[in-house]
Amino acid sequence: MATKTRTIEVELSTSGLDRSGKPQRVPLVTNDGGVSIGIPEPLALEPALDGEHMLINLGPQHPATHGVLRLVLELDGETVVRCIPHIGYLHCGFEKTGEYRQYNQIIPWTDREDYLNAPGNNVAMALGAERLFGITITERCKVLRVIACELSRIMSHLVWLGTTSIDIGAYTPFLWSFHQRELIYQLLEAWTGARLTTSLTRVGGLMADIPDGWTDNARSFLAGFDKVLDDVEKLLTNNGIWVGRTVGLGVMSPEEAINWGLSGSMLRASGVSYDVRKDFPYLDYETYDFEVPVGVNGDVYDRYLVRVEEMRQSARIVRQALDRLPDGPINVDDARVILPSKTKATSGMESMIHHFKQVMEGPRPPVGEAYVAVESPRGEKGYYMVSDGTAKPVRWRIRPPSFLNLSAIPKMVEGHLLSDVIAINASIDVVLGEIDR
Amino acid sequence: MAITVKRVSRHVEQTSYVKATLQGMASTLKQMFEPKVTIQYPEQRWELSPRWRGTHRMLTKEDGKARCVACGLCPSVCPSNCIKLVPGEDENGNRYPLVFEIDEFRCIFCGYCQEVCPEDAIHVGQHYENSEYSREGHVYDLERLMAQTHPVSTLWDATDPRGE
Ligand code: SF4
Ligand code: SF4
Repeated sequence: MATKTRTIEVELSTSGLDRSGKPQRVPLVTNDGGVSIGIPEPLALEPALDGEHMLINLGPQHPATHGVLRLVLELDGETVVRCIPHIGYLHCGFEKTGEYRQYNQIIPWTDREDYLNAPGNNVAMALGAERLFGITITERCKVLRVIACELSRIMSHLVWLGTTSIDIGAYTPFLWSFHQRELIYQLLEAWTGARLTTSLTRVGGLMADIPDGWTDNARSFLAGFDKVLDDVEKLLTNNGIWVGRTVGLGVMSPEEAINWGLSGSMLRASGVSYDVRKDFPYLDYETYDFEVPVGVNGDVYDRYLVRVEEMRQSARIVRQALDRLPDGPINVDDARVILPSKTKATSGMESMIHHFKQVMEGPRPPVGEAYVAVESPRGEKGYYMVSDGTAKPVRWRIRPPSFLNLSAIPKMVEGHLLSDVIAINASIDVVLGEIDR
Repeated sequence: MAITVKRVSRHVEQTSYVKATLQGMASTLKQMFEPKVTIQYPEQRWELSPRWRGTHRMLTKEDGKARCVACGLCPSVCPSNCIKLVPGEDENGNRYPLVFEIDEFRCIFCGYCQEVCPEDAIHVGQHYENSEYSREGHVYDLERLMAQTHPVSTLWDATDPRGE
């Protein structure tokens, strides 16, 4: 069959500008003159393509992209020349829906945008709304929120560790880390009645106090956790395959990491010690004794080391929090935002009317705006909300750390092999629910 | 304040894949003698926590009628708008729900409906296996909600004062 080769140019929908200010164009080769958007048809294997670059899609349905992420890769042989991430496949309209919900009703939404860090997001959302209302929460509530945040950080890093090790070819750490995650799920299930979608907080407090005996269960989990982490490290840290597949990949220098707007473990692995918990403390994090691990080389291996150490530090924080857990109420005594307790609401006429008003109209913050940043497992997570004095925010906006971390992937994978793209992409720890929101 | 993580520096001999594989096998073999952590669903079942927020249940009064007084709080608080309520009034002037439907397919099991119900009528419960062959099958009407028998969540309930 005579192959009619023609080069056509297809503008990729999310391409940027090149150095001369023109839109970036990708040469595409087809043998029938039709426009193909980079789907590797059999013709890509035709000998006529010798020496030409090839476009392939990694994702959106690919288990190693950790969600519905599509990476369009331009390959020269097996070397990546260019990578263009396409996002938006998981767009759910969380921010827009939030404009039609009361502040407490948004909290179930925050479970679902960064679904690996649900309790942490609930806390961040509640902190934002409380800043808007000008509420100071109780001591017990603060400590319980710290416990929830740190447990969810451990949980999220465990998922990262398990899935990344599977991507790189180690199956056992996946099983071990998911067992530990299951134990945290059991703690959350006993506390909130749900494992993944916790909806833990309310504006001004928490949904529920911890049940009896919960602290003992948490302590016994922590006692076993360190040992499993040691076992996982024994399997990976010195393992020739692991080191060979991770060292020197996706290197970001400290300057580059800052310039690309990275945060969280990605930034710290590059040697920049920035942690919202240390630098802009919330929930009294300054009173806890913990260290911020930083890496040296900023490669995939350092990100692994940093995340493992972060889990140890989080476990340390949870231990301190359990030790200092004070007695007292979990909700502020502020009739503006808190529902009266169930027994009270159903017994007295006045509390009943208050209960009805509160539910039907919703708490109304004063006019203003608030931004709260917390350290999520993926980096600096921000919630921004604007109030016009009604019960629903005019605008509710999320600052997703993995969106900014993902933006650096074209830079990180350039010049690496196709198989290394998987390792580098895994090291970013993307959660597409948060990116697309 | 900041601690630098320790990087191992290694010689080429140390990067032997054979050694790494054997070491890994030794670690995993040891696990064979640890207690099992998996359960064999559906023969074995996971025991849900008493606070579990699952399939709804409508509690009834002594006379067998629903406790709901059609106050309208749960449809207005539901974040996913999945409760349909049409209030009615009987000859004594008592309100009751003419239509009360929950679309379990849209429901996100946040439990807000139970949290706000002033009559302890609608509850989320300790049950999770609700697959159906059609979407319509997920719309539970009042009868079906009342026919559920699983225990209800102890959240926002006087039996669990810490969860109230
Ligand atoms: S559990 Fe939540 S989503 Fe489901 S019906 Fe109740 S309020 Fe609505
Ligand atoms: S809140 Fe309770 S009483 Fe009111 S409509 Fe809902 S189920 Fe009925």
